[in-house]
Amino acid sequence: MKFKLLKSLILPFALLFGSFIYAQTVTGTVSDNSGPVPGVNIIVQGTTTGTQTDFDGNYSLDVDSDDAVLVFSFIGYATQTIPVAGQSVINVTLAEDAAQLDEVVVVGYGSTTRKEVTTAVTSVSTEEFNQGQINEPTQLLQGKVAGLTAYNKGGDPNSNATIRLRGISTIGGSAEPLIIIDGNPGGALNAVDPNDIENITVLKDGSAAAIYGTRGSSGVILITTKSGKTGQDAKISYNGQFASSMIANQVEIMDAGQFIAAGGNDLGSDTDWIDEVTRSSFSQIHNISAVGGTEKSTYRVSANFRDTEGILNNTGFEQFNFRTKLSTRLLDDKLKITFNAGLTQRDSEFGFNEALRYAVTYNPSAPVFGDDAIFPFNSEQYGGYFETLGLFDSFNPVSIIEQNKNYGTRSILQYSMDFRYSFTDDLVANLNMSKQNIQNQNRTYYPTTSYFRGNAVSPVRRGRADFNTDASNVQTLELFGTYSKQVSDKLDLKVTAGYSYQENDFNNYSLVLADFPPGVDFDFQDQIEASQDLLEAGRVEANSSRRDDDRIIAFFGRVNATFDNAIYFNASLRREGSSRFGEENQWGTFPAVAVGADLNNYLNLENVNLLKARIGYGVTGSIPPEVGLFARTYDVTNGADGNSSSATSDPLRAENPDLKWEEKKELNFGIEFANDRFSATMDIYTRTIDDFISLINVEASEFGGASTQYQNGGELKTNGFELTANYDAVKTDKLTWNTGIVFSTYKTTLEKSTAGDQVIANLGSPGQNSTNMILVREGEEVGQIWGPVWTGEVDGNGTPILADVNGDGNLVTDQGSALNDDADFEVLGKGLPDFEIGWTNQLTFGNWDVNAFFRGAFGHSLVNTFRAFYEPRIGSQASYNFVNTELASADIKTAQFSSHYVEKADFFKLDNLSVGYNFDIDNSYIKNIRLSLSGQNLFTITNYTGTDPEPALQDFGAASNGDFVSATPNVLAPGIDRRNSYFSSTTITLGLNVNF
Amino acid sequence: MNRLIKFAFFFSAVLIFSSCTDLEDTLEDALVDQFSNDGVDTGGGGGAAGATLASYNKLRDGSAGHGSYFSTQFVSSDEGAITQKGGDWFDGGIWLRMQRHTYLSASGPLNDTWNNAYNGIGECNTALGGSLSASEAAEVRVIRAFHYMRLLDLFGRVKIVTEAATDPPQSSRLEVYNFVESELLDVLGLGSVTAAIDLSGSPLGTDANAYQVNQFSALGLLAKLYLNAEVYSGTAMWQEAEWASQYVLDNGPYQLCGVGCSVPNLAKRPAVASDPDELEGYRAIFAPNNEGNPEMIWAILYDESGAGGMNFAQMTGHYGSQLTWALQDQPWNGYVALEEFYNMYDNNDIRKEHNFLAGPQLDYDGAPVIDYASDDDDLALSFNPSINELEPNAQREGGVRLGKFSFKIFQRPDMDNDYPILRLGQMHLIHAEAAARNAGDWSLALPEVNVLRDRAGLGPLMNMTADIFHDERGKEMFMESTRRTDQIRFGKWGDAWWEKAADSDPNLELMPIPQPQIDASEGSLTQNPGY
Repeated sequence: MKFKLLKSLILPFALLFGSFIYAQTVTGTVSDNSGPVPGVNIIVQGTTTGTQTDFDGNYSLDVDSDDAVLVFSFIGYATQTIPVAGQSVINVTLAEDAAQLDEVVVVGYGSTTRKEVTTAVTSVSTEEFNQGQINEPTQLLQGKVAGLTAYNKGGDPNSNATIRLRGISTIGGSAEPLIIIDGNPGGALNAVDPNDIENITVLKDGSAAAIYGTRGSSGVILITTKSGKTGQDAKISYNGQFASSMIANQVEIMDAGQFIAAGGNDLGSDTDWIDEVTRSSFSQIHNISAVGGTEKSTYRVSANFRDTEGILNNTGFEQFNFRTKLSTRLLDDKLKITFNAGLTQRDSEFGFNEALRYAVTYNPSAPVFGDDAIFPFNSEQYGGYFETLGLFDSFNPVSIIEQNKNYGTRSILQYSMDFRYSFTDDLVANLNMSKQNIQNQNRTYYPTTSYFRGNAVSPVRRGRADFNTDASNVQTLELFGTYSKQVSDKLDLKVTAGYSYQENDFNNYSLVLADFPPGVDFDFQDQIEASQDLLEAGRVEANSSRRDDDRIIAFFGRVNATFDNAIYFNASLRREGSSRFGEENQWGTFPAVAVGADLNNYLNLENVNLLKARIGYGVTGSIPPEVGLFARTYDVTNGADGNSSSATSDPLRAENPDLKWEEKKELNFGIEFANDRFSATMDIYTRTIDDFISLINVEASEFGGASTQYQNGGELKTNGFELTANYDAVKTDKLTWNTGIVFSTYKTTLEKSTAGDQVIANLGSPGQNSTNMILVREGEEVGQIWGPVWTGEVDGNGTPILADVNGDGNLVTDQGSALNDDADFEVLGKGLPDFEIGWTNQLTFGNWDVNAFFRGAFGHSLVNTFRAFYEPRIGSQASYNFVNTELASADIKTAQFSSHYVEKADFFKLDNLSVGYNFDIDNSYIKNIRLSLSGQNLFTITNYTGTDPEPALQDFGAASNGDFVSATPNVLAPGIDRRNSYFSSTTITLGLNVNF
Repeated sequence: MNRLIKFAFFFSAVLIFSSCTDLEDTLEDALVDQFSNDGVDTGGGGGAAGATLASYNKLRDGSAGHGSYFSTQFVSSDEGAITQKGGDWFDGGIWLRMQRHTYLSASGPLNDTWNNAYNGIGECNTALGGSLSASEAAEVRVIRAFHYMRLLDLFGRVKIVTEAATDPPQSSRLEVYNFVESELLDVLGLGSVTAAIDLSGSPLGTDANAYQVNQFSALGLLAKLYLNAEVYSGTAMWQEAEWASQYVLDNGPYQLCGVGCSVPNLAKRPAVASDPDELEGYRAIFAPNNEGNPEMIWAILYDESGAGGMNFAQMTGHYGSQLTWALQDQPWNGYVALEEFYNMYDNNDIRKEHNFLAGPQLDYDGAPVIDYASDDDDLALSFNPSINELEPNAQREGGVRLGKFSFKIFQRPDMDNDYPILRLGQMHLIHAEAAARNAGDWSLALPEVNVLRDRAGLGPLMNMTADIFHDERGKEMFMESTRRTDQIRFGKWGDAWWEKAADSDPNLELMPIPQPQIDASEGSLTQNPGY
């Protein structure tokens, strides 16, 4: 009693005294239940004074006040706050934090904590990434982020996934999200090897992305690469993967016997063309990294090698990638400099997807080699291969893939220097500079003996070599400062302001030369001077373009305010200009505001760690895909014989000096909940995209014959709902089972259309041109497949009898009448899914871990174009193989697009199943070894008869008879499974991970 | 102090970089200004130069290729069709509708025809807005009048745009007719066409250069307009048509290409003895090397390099026809001539053998061309005059093919043959018909028809009627984009032929105004009656 009294008397006194002359060093060790934790941040609350634990978990920190409070934080652990209260040794045991409320989340130009996030942001870290053979960063995320879809239809190793956040975000702009690599915008996704990624954060809604202004409409993906930690022991890791892939599914076609029985022309052999052009492929991936740090500096270096084979013969790539990340502190730790560099060198064999297409359609009774033909055939002229001469759109697929070459190299050099300077405890400035250089060199070569594009059939002008080179150079400079202030007990304020400059220079040239000396077995692409095209006017095709000084300049600011440590407010404004617009409308303003409240702070519910409601509104823009769309451009036409004179003539496009930003306005409402074992996030959003930039038909008489013009107009509206939930179903020392579900749904409606109602997406040759399959109509959903309905009956000619849909007794099913009031057309399906689901399960049992990931999309349909062209038993087309799915009807003898070729493509698949085992090795050299076995795309439940039921989010159009596919997809035409698709594959991967 | 330096550093950095708000950019990979170069005429093609060049060049678009003016004229007439061969060439039914006269305003080819015409008109207006000599301006106005004549003929009610960046209201067909007439009269320096035509007031030249508009092309065009005046305006102008064409026949430096008028046959295959070495007479007018043909009054220059747009070999050749002439690209197996039209020719008519590709087809080495998907058991390719049906399963080798603008070996997809807008043979037909109709006596047409028959290796006709004249005109003018106009003028547009049913709807004599134009016009264009 006495003592107590004494204490209570002395303590205030001591505190008072201490506040004047107090200076004390606090030391201690931070550990978790398995031992010391290095790299833990310790900060004196309300200041920027702080330190980190060394590799033994020890720290030492000077505090100048006895009422100082120390904040211990580390990713994955609950933050602890401990008053110093006179202690000189404070040892802390961190507890793992299931909800990770204090996890640092990177947002644009800074970071915040999970708890304080007021916008729709999803962060995915290493341990949640997809496993198996991962070729590019988006594959890590597939199905993990509600609202993000990343489909690489078929799985061509050389093509990137189509990424969409919350559906269509733009009509005329770039639909791909903005990529930010370690804070630097505009990076190429392929520049980062998936092995080097620590975390990917996706800014989904307008209020989160608005700080990135004009490039934020399609969402923002922030990639944080792995780095060393101060005081960390040097550690070397090896990651190896060995994978084998095989065809998962192929188009059902006839074999030679069935084909001949069905009336096909018998050419005397029996060939399985798909088997001839595909293989079981083998791929390997190796990654070695070294990571570590001293008191002031950290480093990480990493080397990656990938050798990936595609299932189509002669396709795949080899890639080397090196990445270095160095960081050091200077000037009393006030200046932090980070250097980050990546070099990627990829050699690709693109091969020819056409080989798969023609493998489907080629006569199965045709021989591979001409000498096996049942009638005299001049094999030598075709490199030994057989060709069905005189047929439209028919090429020997083995000859295509074996004789021709299609390959290229790409190098990406990416480097950045970031300077971060703390003027005072409150004011921090950042200067980030980065540069990215991408060079592509692609070549295609068709020898004189190739019928496909090599013109072997002709006595003249055989052989062809294409060269395509482009280089782009992006440089970025960003300068921004952050001022943080605790205004009062209840109010913390953080203000960020900055300037951003980005310049993009692009140039390319291409060259096509043909007519090489026949009869010589020589690769003339390396000796194009032998081309006879050089001797004749108008033969050589050459093309070049340059887009320099393509700039984006922006000023931006943001205010974050936290009231009562429970109500979070966030407002930002970006003023941005682009040289892609004409003088009149170069600048746009993009504001955002969001507020969130930790309701549990007031409700104090039992067993609830977080109950947050948040609402945000933001405006973002979309930048047009090209420079100069506002300008009228002219063609050059040549005089009489090409050289006598030249003049300009009007092209198809009229000028529009008022062309302006496409804008997206988005309102997002979210609720986040977390307790010790369960967490969930729900978002509801509505977004409106208007003034989209599109090429509109104008009246030819008014614009001097120019029949199109880029205009702003139209309105697109999307409403959506997303849910993410995670549950630690079992959590014992021996066994853990975490299961998580990601659900997303949205509906996009075309509220207004400048182009008027129209039908788009032509089916194509042979014979189905002017057959448009997608309806674009005001007030209706985007991506409706539109066409006549088959009754199931055929007439005497074998022509399908179509239904009188509107029952007016008058059958109007012509394509030209598709939009007429009396047309017997109806919506045959939807190109976009109703909803998508990802279901993750992670189990650990002792040293074992199992990861099972299921994914599905429901409600969408696909036009199976292989069936639409080749399933009807057309007599006069009897040299194409017949597609023979379970839906085939032998009575149909006329190819005409109808409901018969539109199929529901709902699917649910086991996307990834992996099993790993961690070996405990107590060895002075090897710390641990992990072995894993993964299967990707193991089984799919679907009724779709094509190769891959994944939604086709956009359309690249039709191509036939050796034509090239369009490079610019149409986002308004989802739902068409074209003939150019790669076949999907199943992959089994053995992984080995060794830490030294 | 230290702190001050740091702030100075910070703000100077801000200033250096924030001065970069420059968004100046010039479009580097496209021309944003117009120019026109007078180059060096290297002979060969000859042709226009300088400021008028672009206007002339636009004549090529759609005039001899697939999907625009030529296709619209050809497929809607009784000359030929594009048959649907199973899955091939259905194309949403647009060509079936074109043949059956059930065309819709949504038709892509009609829209492209419209766009091509206004594209050409825009080019002319741009040229006229610059500085042109009097003769150049007159030439360009004739080119523009020619585009309007096509629009008048096909669509009737269009907008008469005479200046860049203006949007005049839609005119009636009569107003368009009056505009074309007045433009042509004006450049000819005439108030009206009379028996005694005096062209001394015209800035146009008189030299025989088929690539350049002269007095004879302008007057010939006027004759053609008057020949159809009754259709266009409701008032016949037979007398004026006769006078105008008479003047061209009497004063023009042109000759019919007959005996001795020949060019080397560029389609001669070394291994095929039956291929002639020379093309003479009628054949020479349409050959790939037909430049400088004495019959040509006004022609559109086509060339495989630099002046592309004539693609008949691609449009009509069978897939296997590539092997016949060793064509660079595989043809598309589309356009065929109708059997009735082919049978209208006498068997010994040179034009029958020349205008069509019929019978067995040989490859470059003289061996039969094999079709691996042949309609019958005989894999050898042979073009039969008869076609089983228009759709849906027309035979792949059914129908004779369009060979009038003859091919050459190793030909590229773009052909070299020049395409006549006006030639002397046509001028005779205009004159003969105008004279006969003016006098109400068809026998007046006999002499000139017989001249053309004589060149075709046929004996003279003794008797002439409107129907016979219509047939004779058809045989001579196949593929020259006049048949549709002729059928309308002769009142035969509503007749039935092959799979086209008879109809009596006069509205079908005009095509529907393309829907995309109406949609884009914000109400300033209205549809033709009946659509």
